[in-house]
Amino acid sequence: MKNQHSTEETHAEHITSYREHFGTWVGLILLTLMTVFISVFGADLRTITVATALFIASVKALVVAYYFMHLKYDPRIYRVLMTIVMSLFTSFLIMVILDYLTR
Amino acid sequence: MNHHFTLPNSGHHYDAKASKMGMWLFLYTELLLFGGLFLVYMVYRSLNQDAFLLASFNLNVWIGTANTVVLLTSSMTVAMSISALQKGDSKKSILLLWLTILAALIFLVVKYFEWSSKFEHGLFPGMDHFNQLPNGEKLYFNLYFFMTGLHGLHVIVGGIFIMVVVAKIKSGKVNKSRYQLLENSGLYWHLVDLIWIYLFPLFYLIH
Repeated sequence: MKNQHSTEETHAEHITSYREHFGTWVGLILLTLMTVFISVFGADLRTITVATALFIASVKALVVAYYFMHLKYDPRIYRVLMTIVMSLFTSFLIMVILDYLTR
Repeated sequence: MNHHFTLPNSGHHYDAKASKMGMWLFLYTELLLFGGLFLVYMVYRSLNQDAFLLASFNLNVWIGTANTVVLLTSSMTVAMSISALQKGDSKKSILLLWLTILAALIFLVVKYFEWSSKFEHGLFPGMDHFNQLPNGEKLYFNLYFFMTGLHGLHVIVGGIFIMVVVAKIKSGKVNKSRYQLLENSGLYWHLVDLIWIYLFPLFYLIH
């Protein structure tokens, strides 16, 4: 009973190490530098640089959500909800794109 | 019998899981708010590609990069402050939160100088130079000021939220076994970072 009480009281959750947070930060900084250099030095390849910039931004967003926002260690429901919201937004995006392409 | 729903030291109902879920649901509405603006950006940009490209040369890529690094670093410090409090080190946790607030201030000061230089060049909507621009470039600056302005507002709110959490850690209301408010402020702060991750390439890096 005492044991049960204490798990109610504390979160009994995974504690992310400082090292992992730092590693995540290093990864994000490297991705940022990568996207800046591709943009600055690949200026002639406009469509490619735009697609690459958005791709790298999405990788960064995933890293932030997964590690900093703790989705990796949270109950599955949080990842499911995030997937639903992102699918919803993607469907808006596709509908708008189709609308403008078929005018 | 309701004993284990209530913490012995409070008398208040404290439900970390519900609190966290509530925060996430709010963050989803924020994502869709900015998502709508990104759709507007996408449509106008596809209709005015050259004008958007031309207008984007008015922004300095390196200033944008510096601000990106500042925000990413602050995301790390706020994440670390949660780990620190979970380990029971409230002093370190508070220090890391102050570093996060400092980063928020640096971000806003840099943004202030960026916006000021646009004002000096008359590029704010309604100013002389702005009124003479072609429509596509007007749209770019409208979206630039609206989206970075709304994001800046979120930076200010996030900074205040974190200051409230600092005060509550100091008074012991947020502690090793009750840290959901800290985690929620961290989630909010990461969202601010997340949105900037997209604003940065869309406004600064499109050339």
